[in-house]
Amino acid sequence: MENNETNLQSASLRQLLNEVNQRVSKHMVALEEASRLNEELKLLNQRLEDSEKLKSHFLSNIRNQIINPFASILGLSENITRVKERPENWKRAKHMARLIFDEAFNLDFQLSNIFAAAKLEAGDTHPEIVRVNLLELTKSTIQAFRHKCLQKEMTLELRLDLDQPEAKAFTTDPIKLKVILANLISNAVNFSNASNTIDIEASLRDGCFIFSVRDRGIGIAPEDLKVIFDRFKRLNPDINSIHQGHGLGLSVAKAMLDILDGRIEIESRRGHGSFFCISIPQNHRLAEPKGFEQSDDGEEFLFDDFEKF
Amino acid sequence: MEEYPVHFLYPAAIFVAPKPYFIKTILGSCVAVCLWDAKNRIGGMNHYMLPLWNGQGLASPKYGNIAIAKLLEKLISSGAQREHIVAKVFGGGEVIETEQSNFFIGERNAQLATEVLRTEKIPIRGESLRGKLGRKIIFNTFTGEVKMRYIKKNNT
Repeated sequence: MENNETNLQSASLRQLLNEVNQRVSKHMVALEEASRLNEELKLLNQRLEDSEKLKSHFLSNIRNQIINPFASILGLSENITRVKERPENWKRAKHMARLIFDEAFNLDFQLSNIFAAAKLEAGDTHPEIVRVNLLELTKSTIQAFRHKCLQKEMTLELRLDLDQPEAKAFTTDPIKLKVILANLISNAVNFSNASNTIDIEASLRDGCFIFSVRDRGIGIAPEDLKVIFDRFKRLNPDINSIHQGHGLGLSVAKAMLDILDGRIEIESRRGHGSFFCISIPQNHRLAEPKGFEQSDDGEEFLFDDFEKF
Repeated sequence: MEEYPVHFLYPAAIFVAPKPYFIKTILGSCVAVCLWDAKNRIGGMNHYMLPLWNGQGLASPKYGNIAIAKLLEKLISSGAQREHIVAKVFGGGEVIETEQSNFFIGERNAQLATEVLRTEKIPIRGESLRGKLGRKIIFNTFTGEVKMRYIKKNNT
């Protein structure tokens, strides 16, 4: 009898102890969460301060990046119309046309990033999944930057291992994928010094498209790695910086990677160049995500046990 | 069932239906806010993954504070009248238990919806928040009715 009672007591004691332990660990979790939130708050504060600066910088940047190129396109094309039609002027005209193309290419790139960002921020971006030939897409994206590389006397080292049949019918969103690749390549070209080499590798691994770019340019400091995906963030905000852009490229690329369930890894050291590697899984929701049963008669939303709200 | 077009709403997107639509989506720890103007029969839905935009990346509707504000803005610019708008809120389940960084994400998403709607003075007419399960929902933007069912596992 007495024994029983002690047993009972020790059992309830154990229960109590368990309860206490549980509560303590819950508190610990809450504490951790609180300190994490505090850290977030601090970061947020700092970002708020930065954002005002960024806004005014963006406006002056627009002048540099959009109005100036337009002015030179106007000027150059006007010059071409005035070139006298003699064979010896052919070279001059061609040279000017090339300059116009370069300016227009840059403008087009910058503007598509701005519009892509605007669309993403409006919540108007949806994955449009089709079968894509990865080799073709990668090649044509790189091709667009050839001339810029030539200008800066850079070498592109390509290792495109995309000959498997799976790579010829990879289900993903080609337009978004192209934007992602173009931004990575553009950054590598922009932030490299003249006559550097850029390594581009692409392959298919475990059903994922792997694409990496290694430059030997200025690199990124460790404290800056956290903010490189922030919009309008340019690590060198100097208006006269030789690096063009609005600081939208990586934020757009990241948002599009999110949509494609992709990942990005970065290795970089100041002065030693950067390495960006993305991996994007094959997207299986060709038409629409799984989870909604489709029946043949199109009555796809007949739930058997739904609740009404 | 009526022959309305169907729009599948992806995470971090917003859809406001220009005419009667079925908007459907799948939720895990994400939250979807359905706003509906009962008088003009205009409805829209968002689907956000994280509660607050803190300057990281783009200011996209991936974040609740932005997603709700933008949905409201779009709804009103599509002809909805603020005083007739009501809300139904879904999701915020704790379906991911492993990743540390996702701690309480569902809970915080759910809290944010309730808070923002309260400050915006939009009445919540129906909700199914929190819990351990994912959800599928279909929103009829003509009747304002939302059908929901629980699903076992989902990450979004």
